[in-house]
Amino acid sequence: MTEGRKILGSIGLGILTIFVIVAVLAPHIAPYDPHQMYRPMEHPSSRHLLGTNDIGNDILSEIIYGTRVSLFIAFIVSAISMLVGTSLGLIAGYFDKLGFLIMRVVDIFLTIPRLPLIIIIAASMRPSIWNLIAIFLIFGWTMTARIIRSEVLTLRTRYYIDATKMIGGGDFYILWRHILPNVIPLVVVQFIMEAIHVILAESGLSFLGLGDPVARSWGMVLHYAFECPIIYVSDVWMWWMLPPGLCIVFTVLGLTFVGYALEETLDPRLKNPAYGREL
Amino acid sequence: MPGDALSYLTDPGADIPVRMTEEKREILLAYYGLDKPILEQYINYMVGITRGDLGWSIYYSAPVLEVILGRLKWTLLLVGTSTAIHVTLGILIGAASAWAHGRTKDVCLLVSILSISSFPSFFLGILMVIFFGIKLDIFPIGGAQTAFATYQSPFGEIFDILHHLILPAATLVISHIGGTYLLMRNSMLGVLGEDYIMTARAKGLSERYILHRHALTNALLPIVTMTAMTIGFMIMGTIFVETVFAYPGIGNLLYNAVLYHDYPLLQGIFLFMTIAIVGANFLADMIYVRLDPRVDHE
Repeated sequence: MTEGRKILGSIGLGILTIFVIVAVLAPHIAPYDPHQMYRPMEHPSSRHLLGTNDIGNDILSEIIYGTRVSLFIAFIVSAISMLVGTSLGLIAGYFDKLGFLIMRVVDIFLTIPRLPLIIIIAASMRPSIWNLIAIFLIFGWTMTARIIRSEVLTLRTRYYIDATKMIGGGDFYILWRHILPNVIPLVVVQFIMEAIHVILAESGLSFLGLGDPVARSWGMVLHYAFECPIIYVSDVWMWWMLPPGLCIVFTVLGLTFVGYALEETLDPRLKNPAYGREL
Repeated sequence: MPGDALSYLTDPGADIPVRMTEEKREILLAYYGLDKPILEQYINYMVGITRGDLGWSIYYSAPVLEVILGRLKWTLLLVGTSTAIHVTLGILIGAASAWAHGRTKDVCLLVSILSISSFPSFFLGILMVIFFGIKLDIFPIGGAQTAFATYQSPFGEIFDILHHLILPAATLVISHIGGTYLLMRNSMLGVLGEDYIMTARAKGLSERYILHRHALTNALLPIVTMTAMTIGFMIMGTIFVETVFAYPGIGNLLYNAVLYHDYPLLQGIFLFMTIAIVGANFLADMIYVRLDPRVDHE
């Protein structure tokens, strides 16, 4: 199975690399400016490879620029969530009193139903990329903090930590030099999980019409397509809905494959099923 | 959420803004009891709840309880059916996959399940509507029942409801099966590494017997917990599927309540959500004790 995991991981990495290249080079790849208006509802042709939408934007360019928006939101949210979640998790696991406080805050956040609250906040704020990022950040760090904390709780009882204390290592030295490197694998897997979650949640919110109407993500393209009744009575969906939808699917799939491959590389226990798996 | 139901109506950015004088506004606020101090409103609400009165939905102009109960049956039908199917399928496929661990069958199952669970539920729903509702025209594209239908017999009505249920339920099943499958597969792999499986093999029991009596039953435990934990979230998660299929359930209601700033209705929905989540967890704990007697003695 290890071979299988490697192959899946490489496929996932390949898919993600393509999307990242498209996102970075969007202005050079996209044939048109996504806000430029042409004749609306044109079918695919050599001039507009995926046709134009109801207000005449070139759909292919819209999707290429959408890659930027979708990946940017996912990356920023996951990165900041990991930074905050890991720091708080380390502190919470190492210092008991502070840990108690932090964990009660985490408990509160984990009991609040995430999706309805996100919808309520998104509906009451002016839709923009930055507001979406802020909304996802409110919840993004909690699970990571919890997972990192429980790992720190076991790590800090190891003999080498006692040994370091004995030769006079300070708390922050121990956290930075001996505990942090050991939780990094978990953080990487959490990063991928969070990215998958944000891509799906962002596309969902945008699909409901709560995304940024100017910087359109894939979900927002789908939202406008879904609003347009003509989608059901013609073949328009083939170039207007299928491409952005499949972009979401392949990004999530790429992340899933990479996460699956890393899970084993980073956690050697999985190589031998005889050890079982903690759930 | 800033603003109230009235400021939603009078918002100049709305589709059809309603003009309202200041006096009119005050009369309306007094009518709904919104002019009283927050604490008094809160006490009134809590006293109301003890009598089963959840307040008055401003947008639907009906008691909140009535509005929610009218929608709840559809969501329960949808979530209940799809949970039953995705859990059963997830367990069977997950167990088969773990049993064939490392072989081609396992890899194929894993890759295909991971692939189909990468579809966001609303995108999957749209594809379902287009293929089965429009191209093939074998299923209705929305709603929970045919509008204004008169049925010859009760069976006709049941058939009509099921006919409308299949596409949204299938969408939910496909988008949730990945979690159950992966958990079952991992749990089963853990169990297969246990000593008692080796003992069973050493005793010469048949592979079939080991799979059914020793491995499957023990691997099921985490599934019970997970199903209970996800059921509450699934009720809210139906919001996308219900939007695509115009299914008159709770998710759809929540979205409208947010849109129209209907606070009493929102509070009611959250109350029901909480009850559903706590209830599902309680049920899981009860079932767990029956399935694993060791838990009881702790």
